[in-house]
Amino acid sequence: MTSSAVTSAGIASDAPRSDFGRVLEQRERRFAAALLAPAFLALLATTTFPLIFLVYTSTFRMDLAMPFTNGFVGFENYQVLLSDERFWSSLLVSLVYTGSTVAFQVVIGLALALLVMDMKRGQGWFRIIAILPVVLSPAVVGMIWRTFMLAPEFGIIDYLAINAGLGSKNWLGDPTLAMVSVIAIHTWQWTPFAFMVLLASLASLPEDIYEAARLDRASAWQRFRRITLPLLRPAIVMVIIMRTMVALTAFAAIFTVTGGGPGTATEILNLYAYRKSFTELSIGYGSALAVALLIVTIIISGILFAMRRAK
Amino acid sequence: MSGQGQVSFRNIVKMHGEFAALKGVNFEIKPGEFFALLGPSGSGKSTTLRILAGLDAPTAGRVLIDDKDVTSTDARDRDIAMVFQSYALYPHMTVAENIAFPLEMAKLPKAQIAPAVKDAARKVKIDHLLDRRPGQLSGGQQQRCALARAIVRKARLFLLDEPLSNLDAKLRLETRAELKKLQRSLGVTAVYVTHDQEEAMTLADRMAVFMSGEIQQVGTPAEVFARPNSVDIAGFIGNPPMNLVPARYVNGDVIIAGHRLKTATTMAGERDVVVGLRPGALRMVEGGLGARVDLIEDLGDTAVLDLDCAGTMIRMRVADGNIPGEGDTISITARPQDIHLFDPTTRMRL
Repeated sequence: MTSSAVTSAGIASDAPRSDFGRVLEQRERRFAAALLAPAFLALLATTTFPLIFLVYTSTFRMDLAMPFTNGFVGFENYQVLLSDERFWSSLLVSLVYTGSTVAFQVVIGLALALLVMDMKRGQGWFRIIAILPVVLSPAVVGMIWRTFMLAPEFGIIDYLAINAGLGSKNWLGDPTLAMVSVIAIHTWQWTPFAFMVLLASLASLPEDIYEAARLDRASAWQRFRRITLPLLRPAIVMVIIMRTMVALTAFAAIFTVTGGGPGTATEILNLYAYRKSFTELSIGYGSALAVALLIVTIIISGILFAMRRAK
Repeated sequence: MSGQGQVSFRNIVKMHGEFAALKGVNFEIKPGEFFALLGPSGSGKSTTLRILAGLDAPTAGRVLIDDKDVTSTDARDRDIAMVFQSYALYPHMTVAENIAFPLEMAKLPKAQIAPAVKDAARKVKIDHLLDRRPGQLSGGQQQRCALARAIVRKARLFLLDEPLSNLDAKLRLETRAELKKLQRSLGVTAVYVTHDQEEAMTLADRMAVFMSGEIQQVGTPAEVFARPNSVDIAGFIGNPPMNLVPARYVNGDVIIAGHRLKTATTMAGERDVVVGLRPGALRMVEGGLGARVDLIEDLGDTAVLDLDCAGTMIRMRVADGNIPGEGDTISITARPQDIHLFDPTTRMRL
């Protein structure tokens, strides 16, 4: 209907081609906007509005335990936050947790992908088995690790540690070991994702350039350094970006395994905001913490995206 | 140059499961020679080149380069440069970095690499494109970049795997001539894989003709053209290829469609043969083999006639100005020395 109307109008007015094109383009743009509108509105309602409400809440004192103190406080929550030692320590825990889990995922994922690439048989099976941890709920993963893997005496890891002569360890009770454990759990669950993405991009690299490199006398290490790594760079950066965003906002696995403890040893910023809001019922300050996490996430992803564009 | 580039293949067999890609291949390449491996696709010529390069290992047999057994030597230690059919340029490197790569791997000092890269690029006329990436080059330019990367190192052997097949017709002819000049000026041994008999004929000093995993003939292009060893080679070489006509041989003559033609063979007796006649060796005479002109393909300076000789199709090449009309009946013959005889069962030359 529209196209024929436009065509006849174009001919009747004898408009130059560029005018005709502009009318067409305008109509198309309007139609596209109409198609996009429902999704856009839904997004607005479910993400943008809560976000704005969060920022709004963070300017209030909203203490469910002491409702009589509630009221607008402006930036007071943020001033408190900047001098809150527990905030800084949870931020540090978040950064260590994110940095180490992402680094482990990429390194182990890449190593596995390189190994599996050379497998002549069973690649398909390996992929199916490798994907299993990813499809589990992080809460379930946390429960599995807390009970089957890390429980003193009975857990598989502890059993192995005893048999290796290291003795039984309090995996989730010792502050350092608890941190190591939650990092290991996250790495265990999400390395297959990095592995799958990197394996797919490895498989898409042309074989003949490796043959050319062999004839050009490049060693296996040189081929990896000079050819594989640069060609995988876009995929690696993509994995880093996606995994960093998820790790920064990780919650369920840590919540079920340590709940942030012992003390605040594994309390990432996300968990601190949760505890503040829903355990200590200080919604206003909890919102300020969540906004801080949002800002940290935006800054880090900004840096990562800049890295991706560079070169 | 670290060696002369003499190659010898001894009974090379390559199996892919049950399938024999190469069934015992033997040949020698002399230093400085331009040697072509010619054959239809699937005949084993590319496999042969890959085994020579060290990219694939033979199932049996030995490969010798400069009299040294390199059968189990890795590709990186063979001192061989290769131009791939796909060019296999490193997509993330500029042209200059691509050309420099083999030199960097050879740990040449930086001060020597830059001039060597320039020099190689100039030889193949891409010295104005050094900062581009392969994705920004045309097919012909990519091909030159691959050539430059191969010649920069001055390896003892220079392998080319159908390097011209991805170029358009005009560029292919130009590059073909340049390739020959380049090889001569470098004085390097070149092994050239092609399915295009014209390329092999024009480029090669000598060539090996592959048919289903075997070499059927080794010789200069002129030798192979003049005396093809088998029916298959006869039907593969030449444009258009040789006419192959089943006929009866009787005491020095062959009988085609009831007409007797004298041959140069003196063998006595009577037998079935396949007669090979080059389209260009046929001439029109009075009282020869009668034929009706079915179709004329005019190529400008020459024409190819499709002739019907009592049910047998024969193609004939005639010079311009001497072309009969379609539907005309003409009479043709060939000189005794131009008549090739093959055994119909073994398919080999008699």
